[in-house]
Amino acid sequence: MIDLTIPDRLDDLLRDYFRPEPAPVDLARRVLTTGRSAAEDLPRLEKRLAIQATSQGVSFIRAGKLDKPATAAARRLAERAREEIVEYLSGKRAFFTVPVDLSGAPEFQRRVLEATRDIPFGEARPYAWIAARIGHPRAVRAVGTALGRNPVPLIVPCHRVWRSDGGLGGYLFGAGLKRRLSQLERATPVLEGCTSTRIVCRVGCIHGRRMRPDNRVVFGSVQDARSVGYRPCKVCKPSAAA
Amino acid sequence: MESDRGLMARVARGDEAAFTEVVNRYGGRLLSVAQRLLGSRADAEDAVQRALLQCYASGSSYRPQWAVSTWLYRILTNVCVDELRRRATRATHDRFPPSPGPDHHRPPGRHMDLHRALDRVPREARVLLALRYVDGLSYGELARIRGISVNTVKSQLARGKALLRAELGKRGALHD
Repeated sequence: MIDLTIPDRLDDLLRDYFRPEPAPVDLARRVLTTGRSAAEDLPRLEKRLAIQATSQGVSFIRAGKLDKPATAAARRLAERAREEIVEYLSGKRAFFTVPVDLSGAPEFQRRVLEATRDIPFGEARPYAWIAARIGHPRAVRAVGTALGRNPVPLIVPCHRVWRSDGGLGGYLFGAGLKRRLSQLERATPVLEGCTSTRIVCRVGCIHGRRMRPDNRVVFGSVQDARSVGYRPCKVCKPSAAA
Repeated sequence: MESDRGLMARVARGDEAAFTEVVNRYGGRLLSVAQRLLGSRADAEDAVQRALLQCYASGSSYRPQWAVSTWLYRILTNVCVDELRRRATRATHDRFPPSPGPDHHRPPGRHMDLHRALDRVPREARVLLALRYVDGLSYGELARIRGISVNTVKSQLARGKALLRAELGKRGALHD
């Protein structure tokens, strides 16, 4: 015999479990204080950047001045990199599509940089993780040196490599910016769906640029999005990235 | 008392007093949803602060055809869902995930079974259950918050509750 009391008992349990609790009295003040102190350093960083590229990809990014890219193809890549960096620094991009050209880096450094590119957006890994990943588990210090000379910071995310004890470690734009980038990535979602098209994209996909802010819904995985009737974008292919 | 929409019009102009009133009206409910989804009080407060900051910073993009609560819950669930995704990724990669700190939400004994059972409910259904039971939101409001159809809301809630019933039934937690 079906126990008809069970659904009601579950409803009671859920209502009790989810009973609202009082918010801290100073919640609004805390939010406003955080908002006022939100640093303007990320947009400033973009303005300071010079970007060099070859026809194969972005080859060098530094604060300061660099020679202009030599060819039209290289200039287009440098310009595309700048656009993607602006979107990334304003929390509208969670991945880079512009290619990088690491052919000028020595073999060891190139392997370090490629391993670094495997660290997911919003995550951090210790220097020792990179060292183990490239088959030189004792070369932790050399990994740090290679990352300190990262030719294409931001796009190759050396800011996601921290010390094993949770300390920041160094960063060529300064430790403060390394922490800010970590906060930025924590506040930037990876997958967003459009409520009018029911398509889920990676944040930064060209389709997302046309999305109205009130049509934007964040998902935890492509599987979650599918379970409520969304399909993955065919342009940015979030399933392949997940 | 000033209407929610009137307050939001003032928030869009950067009126801090109006924003404070919005927080006073909705802060507790937002915090409850976040805390039940994320587990720890500290993470929940962080998520609510980030959501409210978005609300304040993008007040001008608020459209009056939205109920303010619906709009706030959309922003908050966006933040919480991404935080849950990040945790799932971290758990997959970390060999030694950090143990819960002293502030980790420990539900009272009578809720322990439900707390564990909810962990087995898929994310989307868990979010809908939290919104439904914290604020008694209608299926239509839930659909709008998560950008899904009313039928999907109903099927997700039914599926979530069926899973809970099965889990709690195993533990004998549905009987006094």
